Amino acid sequence: MSTPTLTNETETRTGPAAATGEATAQHKTTEQHKTTAQRNPALRPGPGKTPAYRLRLYALQGGKAVWGSGAIILFLLLWELGPTYLAPASTRVFLPPLHVVLEALGTLIANGQLQNHLAASLSRSGSGFGIAVVTAVALGLLVAWYGALDRFLNPLLEVFRNTAALALLPVFTLLLGIGETSKISIVAYAAFFPVLLNTIAGVRTVDPLLIRAARSLGLSNFQLFQKVILPSAVPTIFTGIRMAGTSSILVLIAAEMVGAKAGLGYLIVNSQMSFLIPDMYAGILTVSLLGLLVNYLLVGVERHFSRWRTAVGSRTA
Amino acid sequence: MTSGTGPIPKISLQNITKKFTVRPSKDNPEGSVLTALDGISLDVSAGEFITLVGPSGSGKTTLLDLLAGLTKPDTGQVLVDGREVSGPGRDRAVVFQQYALFPWRTAAANVSFGLEGAGSDGKRYTRKERAEKAREYLGLVGLGGFEDRYPHELSGGMKQRVAIARSLAYEPDILLMDEPFAALDAQTREQLQTELLRIWATTGKTIIFITHGIDEAVYLGQRVAVLSSRPGRLKEIVDIDLGDRSGDEDVRSNPAFVEHRHKVWSLLHDEVRRAQAAGHAKIQPDGTAPDETRTITTGKAA
Repeated sequence: MSTPTLTNETETRTGPAAATGEATAQHKTTEQHKTTAQRNPALRPGPGKTPAYRLRLYALQGGKAVWGSGAIILFLLLWELGPTYLAPASTRVFLPPLHVVLEALGTLIANGQLQNHLAASLSRSGSGFGIAVVTAVALGLLVAWYGALDRFLNPLLEVFRNTAALALLPVFTLLLGIGETSKISIVAYAAFFPVLLNTIAGVRTVDPLLIRAARSLGLSNFQLFQKVILPSAVPTIFTGIRMAGTSSILVLIAAEMVGAKAGLGYLIVNSQMSFLIPDMYAGILTVSLLGLLVNYLLVGVERHFSRWRTAVGSRTA
Repeated sequence: MTSGTGPIPKISLQNITKKFTVRPSKDNPEGSVLTALDGISLDVSAGEFITLVGPSGSGKTTLLDLLAGLTKPDTGQVLVDGREVSGPGRDRAVVFQQYALFPWRTAAANVSFGLEGAGSDGKRYTRKERAEKAREYLGLVGLGGFEDRYPHELSGGMKQRVAIARSLAYEPDILLMDEPFAALDAQTREQLQTELLRIWATTGKTIIFITHGIDEAVYLGQRVAVLSSRPGRLKEIVDIDLGDRSGDEDVRSNPAFVEHRHKVWSLLHDEVRRAQAAGHAKIQPDGTAPDETRTITTGKAA
């Protein structure tokens, strides 16, 4: 692999080919650049030394970005143009183009309705999620630590875990009414199990050698828990929390669709019934953006807490 | 350096026996008893470096666990400074073969692990003192400047150095080492052996070092204790006199080394063959051994 051929190869790739070319090939070339540059410091581009090189690099990165968001852009284009040019007029009513939906979204934001619904949804899923995380982590630690408790509770937990949360929605509504309590409860219920199971798994999979090492230092049970078991289980627990975050929003929307006077789920269903179709799509769009945002945040938190676990063996060589 | 003379020995094992109950399994419906150690008596004086060799399943690790206070003997006593060992303590430190570093802690935080909380004398270190100690001991094992690295960023040899620094940091009198260099490549192992001798010379710790390697045992130990195949009994203790080992010369080709090595080899040879014939394998920390059911069937046949 000599540098001249590499340069030629890259030059042919800049331009339209880079943008539409296969992502793998582009990836490979950037990697080759990196390794050659690392191996030979003389090849490393100094600032302003080889502007063409940097330009190519930017082009590659830009191409990658375009490719990465291509599907989204295509989808949005289809949404915008499809209803107008592809769909029959009767369907167009039920599937307004993107700009109409965005206008509706703008109106909902301007008159403050969306904020109200969002706030209602967020406070419900937030409290349900919070309750679930606290109780599930606590119970998970207990269950994982005391084998007898595990053998006692596990069959029951298995039954509940395998009962879809939404199947219990009528029960929650009958027992707790259609107010906030039933909605917070069902969110808590749905978010509870991913956290619980991951907490148990996290504590169970602590390396026994680390426990031996800590014991040999004369740590008490409590110290062992606090300094070895908990930190070691944290990444797994956060995986559970992230899963719970996603499911808490999913379940809440469904619950709000069934019986509520505010919230995003209510907004969607109510708009549908009032034939405010653009508003309905605005609600759906908000839900998916909210889901993305929550997942993104929780992934960030999870990554922060499992930094030490990443790249086992990959950076040692 | 002979044992049993003068004042109280640093470590004294008195007629130790340790048995494990093997839980009933499909192949072994009644369960059975595995005798890991049988009547071990050994005195180690302060500042001594003793190595322990024996075939697989001869109870070397069990012996170390007893010394560390992680298990209790069925009969006999383990004395440290004349007092019976009742549990783990900060006068003893264990270095494990698989390093046992806490992966979520940096090298420095690993080293200062044993310094957190109140020590045996009630002394507490401040965060700053702990960081200083960590730096000091990482420097001692030749890892100055690696304070902020996580274990996954370190090589095997470096990890074991961190583990050694962690054991030394809370200043125990005794270092218990369970095949610490077995997972390392030959070059790193030799390097760490030399460094361990240097650290031993500077700190004056009493070291009990378990190994599979005869060369390693002879090179490091002032005495080499040879254990028999299961049940582990103390077969013989070989005194090693190689003169000054700190020099640069190649001790391993020295005639005295070769002679000692051969002596330990012949002692161990029969035992290893016997252990292999019986199919002995390592005793797990929970007291089970993968070969145990097979031993019983051969026992019945004999």
